[in-house]
Amino acid sequence: MYGGGNTFEKLQTKNVEDEDPQLLAVFEARIERGEKIEPSDWMPDLYRKQLIRMIEQHAHSEIIGALPEGTWVTRAPGFKRKLALMAKVQDEVGHAQLLYSAAETLGKSREQMIDDLISGKSKYSNIFNYPAYTWADSCFISWLVDAGAIVNQTANSRGSYGPYCRALERICIEESFHLKYGHHCVIHMATGTTIQRKMMQEAINRWWKPMMHFFGPSDKISAHTEILMKWKVKMDTNDNMRNQFLDMYVPKIWELGITVPDPKLKKNNESGRWEYTEPDWDEFKRVINGDGPCNAERIAVRRMAEQRGRWVRKALLSPKSKYVTPLA
Amino acid sequence: MESLDPRLNRVNLEDKSLLKPKVALDQFETYETFVQTNENKPYQHEGVVHAPNEDMAFLFAKEQFSRRGTCSGISVCKTENVIVSPTTENGKNIYDEYEPHGSELHEYEKYEVFHLFRRGKQHQHIGQVEASSYDEAFNKSKAIYNNDKTVLNVWLVKTENILFVDENYRDIWHTLSEKQFREATAYRALDKIKKFKEENS
Repeated sequence: MYGGGNTFEKLQTKNVEDEDPQLLAVFEARIERGEKIEPSDWMPDLYRKQLIRMIEQHAHSEIIGALPEGTWVTRAPGFKRKLALMAKVQDEVGHAQLLYSAAETLGKSREQMIDDLISGKSKYSNIFNYPAYTWADSCFISWLVDAGAIVNQTANSRGSYGPYCRALERICIEESFHLKYGHHCVIHMATGTTIQRKMMQEAINRWWKPMMHFFGPSDKISAHTEILMKWKVKMDTNDNMRNQFLDMYVPKIWELGITVPDPKLKKNNESGRWEYTEPDWDEFKRVINGDGPCNAERIAVRRMAEQRGRWVRKALLSPKSKYVTPLA
Repeated sequence: MESLDPRLNRVNLEDKSLLKPKVALDQFETYETFVQTNENKPYQHEGVVHAPNEDMAFLFAKEQFSRRGTCSGISVCKTENVIVSPTTENGKNIYDEYEPHGSELHEYEKYEVFHLFRRGKQHQHIGQVEASSYDEAFNKSKAIYNNDKTVLNVWLVKTENILFVDENYRDIWHTLSEKQFREATAYRALDKIKKFKEENS
């Protein structure tokens, strides 16, 4: 799961104008033809760095995203839910492994990426800095956060970088179980007792704000992305993806008799676009920069895992091993 | 810091004293993984796992690549043991474009050959040749496996450097019935929604 491509600050890279014009032309023609870029191909510095950051953030989001749900495994209602949630959490961590490997083909080692996560240097999807108070929150994440991630990932899987696309194709197939499982959980709550319905409604109320933040700042204020769209790094605008999500899932929430906590939310049938209260982008920025309810805990849990596993990795490391960048 | 997860409150999450950067190879070497999704299909490159040795690489690859869906075989080899040809441009065949030279001579041994047919796709296992060097292995696979299909890139791996699973242990892959709960089809709920709508309309 992921809400990516939108947490970018400006990168320090070589200017595109300073790249070799011939190589750049070959590179752009290849993308224009719909061919994928592979690790051994020449690529502009900006392309490489932007992709590393994007894929790395995506990988971190999978790892951190497993935490709010992971803490519900022990408290999941019943054996079947426990089994399914455990499988889902395992999938998310598996996705992180696929993505770290894809980013690694671009030249950043896995050690560096993990260091940057636990030192707080790298970002991950902002939504996981919010707490999952109840089982209904866990259901919301499984269904709707994953739904948002699928919108995002399906778009990105049509991108230009081969290893990332292949990882995403695999991830999207696996996510379909998450989505169905999450929907199954939400339906069970929403069609259940009065208390269950109330729990589900409260979860939607709590999570709607971060869910609207999920696709990133409005196109009106978001950083310039023209060249990244031309290079098929970013495949669609934040607002388009948000609109696609609303189009697919708001009717499914409403049909369960659950309301969405935004009085302005409605579809404009003429434009085909959804209208909504503009999300609070100052809060988004504040939380992504570390001041959310769970930022400290999420990183601390990863730090603990890092420390506790260190002796195992040390014991297993062979003095003969040698690092080679993975192939594809 | 008080967490919503009671387990986390029992450990000292604030302790940053042990935070130090990872050492080189803390995440181990990489192994390329080849997966066969069913018995009639060729092995295909699927991705990478990090592992301290070949056996662990196989276990990680099995968990990563056969956890979901069908699988009838997995093999792994160290990334450094894959010898890679250049990749052609404009749909040209690498066997017409490239003449390898200068690889070391060895005793005769077996090599596995992998072909890339389309950019963006994965390398497929094509077959085996016997040769006394990578150059000879390349030339032999050109003679045997180069046909109408354009090959963009070739990978060669000495057979002894790949961990295969013994054909007699095919049973370990027959796990589909045990993992139904990992499939979307196990979570149908349309009846519930329909019933709910009828009762509340």
